[in-house]
Amino acid sequence: MTPLELVGALFIIAGTLLSVLAAWGVLDFPSALARMHAATKSASLGLSLIVFGAAIDEGSWGLLGMAALVATFLFLTAPISGHMVGRATYLAGRVDNLVHDDLAGAPHTPLAVGNGVRSGFSAARLISVTVIWMLLWREVSPGTLLGGAAAAAVIEGIRKAPVGQDSIRLRGLLVFAARYIQMVFVSNARVAWEVITPSNEQIREAIVAVPLASSTPAVGLLVANAISFTPGSLTIEMTGDPLVLYVHVLHFESVEQVERDVRKLEAYAGEVFQRADTVGSP
Amino acid sequence: MDTVITMAQLGLAAAAVAAFVRAARGPTLADRIVALDLILLLLAGAVAAHGARAGTELFVPALIVVALVAFAGTIVVARFIEWRDGR
Repeated sequence: MTPLELVGALFIIAGTLLSVLAAWGVLDFPSALARMHAATKSASLGLSLIVFGAAIDEGSWGLLGMAALVATFLFLTAPISGHMVGRATYLAGRVDNLVHDDLAGAPHTPLAVGNGVRSGFSAARLISVTVIWMLLWREVSPGTLLGGAAAAAVIEGIRKAPVGQDSIRLRGLLVFAARYIQMVFVSNARVAWEVITPSNEQIREAIVAVPLASSTPAVGLLVANAISFTPGSLTIEMTGDPLVLYVHVLHFESVEQVERDVRKLEAYAGEVFQRADTVGSP
Repeated sequence: MDTVITMAQLGLAAAAVAAFVRAARGPTLADRIVALDLILLLLAGAVAAHGARAGTELFVPALIVVALVAFAGTIVVARFIEWRDGR
């Protein structure tokens, strides 16, 4: 067994363990929303680890790039499906074990992120879509380059962005990404601990409203996504104008505690974007 | 390596059985779709593990398709639950 194979095997073992824990949580947790916590957090990291393990075992850079793409896709989509299924469950009236519920009777104002303006062409976005296209074809050739550029151009042409779109700051993005990866591992460890220790009676579920008054929709979106990967919390609903996040927590202690955790994330997420109204000013 | 992958696939299969029990038991539609979503992700994991054993890179498109179907299906059912209960 070569060192590469050993590392690959370790990744595959860790991914399998997490997947098994996710399934056990889905089977064993006492309420519908609690089961979504296990499925959202553990299954995506578990599958990502297995795919990375397979890529490392093959020792191929192209495959490693694909694994990164698959993992990114999983981490972008898992919070969305968790959020949508969680909200549907709540609206269906299937949630009755909450010790605290801010969502009951809350006004329903949907976020107006889609009503935007046509955004200009950006070279960074064009290049990244082209690279992703070439990765998907697993081939660097004039054909894939042209195809990727064409696909990127079409996407840029029809893409609409919210009015006053924020630009991304690389340094903030890196700090946020590091913090995000750390959170993902901590929250998986927590879910794992939750699953293997039969402590279902310690679970006190609650839905807490956290206003994000000072944030733009882009920051709110990032926070909503990240919350679904922090230990024991899941975004259930997000309303706009003013921006309010509704967070489902597994171990409710106090509203202030939840708010403090979200504020910390908001500060990190705020560093990623440069607000559109402050661009160009010192 | 082959032993590791066989063990991993057995583990994933056992996990799929647990998820299947939840899908059959419910009690809500949301529980079922979360469990079925998980089964598809477990399937994707097994496909990737198989790819590592077979030494082929052909499994990647299959992996992406399975993950996409899992995501799209979950979203559609969530929409359906809201539509059905919101009328």
